[in-house]
Amino acid sequence: MAQIEQSDGGKKKKGAQKKIAIHVDFTPMVDMNMLLITFFMLCTTMIKSQTLQIILPTNEQVSDQNKSQAKQSEAITMILDTEYNGDRPAVDENGKTIHNIYYYEGIADTTFQITPNQLKAEHFVGNVNHEAQGIRRILYSKNEQVMQRYQELKTRWKNREITKEQFDSAARKNAGDSTLTRPVVVIKPGPNTTYEGLINAIDEMNINQISRYSIELPTHADTLLLRNYEQTHGVTIIRPDVRTRTNRATTEASTPNS
Amino acid sequence: MTAMSDVTVLLLTFFMLTSTFLQKEPTIVYTPSSVSEEKVPMNNLVTVLISCADKGGNMEDPTVTEGKIFISFTGDADSTLSSVNIRGMMLDEAVAIYNAQHQNNPITITAAQKNEFMNTNMFGVPFSVLPEFLSMSVTDRDKFQGNLANPAVGIPINGNRDRDGRLNDFQIWLKAIYNVAQRINSDQAAGLTDAERSQLSNLYTALMRKGEGIAVKADKDTPFTTVQEVFDNLQTMKLNKFSLMTALKSEDEPTN
Repeated sequence: MAQIEQSDGGKKKKGAQKKIAIHVDFTPMVDMNMLLITFFMLCTTMIKSQTLQIILPTNEQVSDQNKSQAKQSEAITMILDTEYNGDRPAVDENGKTIHNIYYYEGIADTTFQITPNQLKAEHFVGNVNHEAQGIRRILYSKNEQVMQRYQELKTRWKNREITKEQFDSAARKNAGDSTLTRPVVVIKPGPNTTYEGLINAIDEMNINQISRYSIELPTHADTLLLRNYEQTHGVTIIRPDVRTRTNRATTEASTPNS
Repeated sequence: MTAMSDVTVLLLTFFMLTSTFLQKEPTIVYTPSSVSEEKVPMNNLVTVLISCADKGGNMEDPTVTEGKIFISFTGDADSTLSSVNIRGMMLDEAVAIYNAQHQNNPITITAAQKNEFMNTNMFGVPFSVLPEFLSMSVTDRDKFQGNLANPAVGIPINGNRDRDGRLNDFQIWLKAIYNVAQRINSDQAAGLTDAERSQLSNLYTALMRKGEGIAVKADKDTPFTTVQEVFDNLQTMKLNKFSLMTALKSEDEPTN
């Protein structure tokens, strides 16, 4: 190591220089390199943040006839809620925040009539053994036609039959295909929902290839449904005292009788 | 030994080239995770940071630190529209809008203060405090912004347009961003064919076409109502397309 030897090919040439062996001690350099590597390894952030694209509608008042009305059969409404433990979101034994979803099929009844067991409770579970669970399974079954084609596309992409770009554009076209039965999901973050709950909900839309969803604030009809659920199941969902911060969103979502 | 030193040098080069140092932010937030694989763009990005409730547990009311807004601008890779230059343009535009709205108590920014602003990554103070803030030293600024309980920290966001139709401070910044981005776009698009114009990639196209221009960064435990306020302001300013910063997770991972 660190020796430079000048070979003369065994022959003595005329005027050839005398062989000099140069020794350089590399150890300090290697030491320094190691230190620098350690420094960079510890200081770099290899994982860049990801982004989730979101498009919100205008918040100007839209007249009722201009509002797009989803068909009763296609609509599904998810009211989000996060459990709180005092002032902080409650966590389960794995340290994950507990989010509840109360969902019903169809659009909210404006006549304030409650059909028994209209509201059902679910959780964000994710996949268990590659099988969709929890709310994901409900959404999957609602969007089955799109998802089946999506899975076919995915297999073709995995088998290298189509490129990533082809897959992406085909998947987008598939998710927006109006000839298929597709659901319209209304996400309603309740007053106690954390930001993570909302992101989880939008994430489920992306996983289940649901192209039509909106984010709205809960209405009085939703509050009524929640109150009914509370009474029939003996639980407390609406906890106005969790957060005393008052702003527009909470006032709109507050209950008519509280 | 030679092989080892070769490898160390190679590794060192790799780490030096791939590393991007974290920009200093006034508060640390833990973003929620999603399956979206889209990367945060390196250029032409406006980051809106929403602070979270105090997690240290030594505060009487931890929520006083919640919902403070900070903005950072990242410019183009191109040197004429670099982060430093674009910040200067944003500041001029925003101060002009502010002073037009508040003719009784306008603010003036000196050249030295503007220079300070151009070299500040993330800031979050109301316009009324801005000149004083920019006169501080860098360490004092960090200390000032780090104290989230101070009511003078955070860009005011509440009051979605007041009664006189005046914009709040956050909306003024958004309007400044939009105006500057539009001006840059029309400058760049001048004399181009339609095909070339559609190829343009600048802050305006990121904002308007792709929704990549604004990234909202908030803590996972921040109540939705706090984040909603920012969304509401963005909607009011007609910036309906934007992105939310998340960490990556796989579909099979259990969701919380």
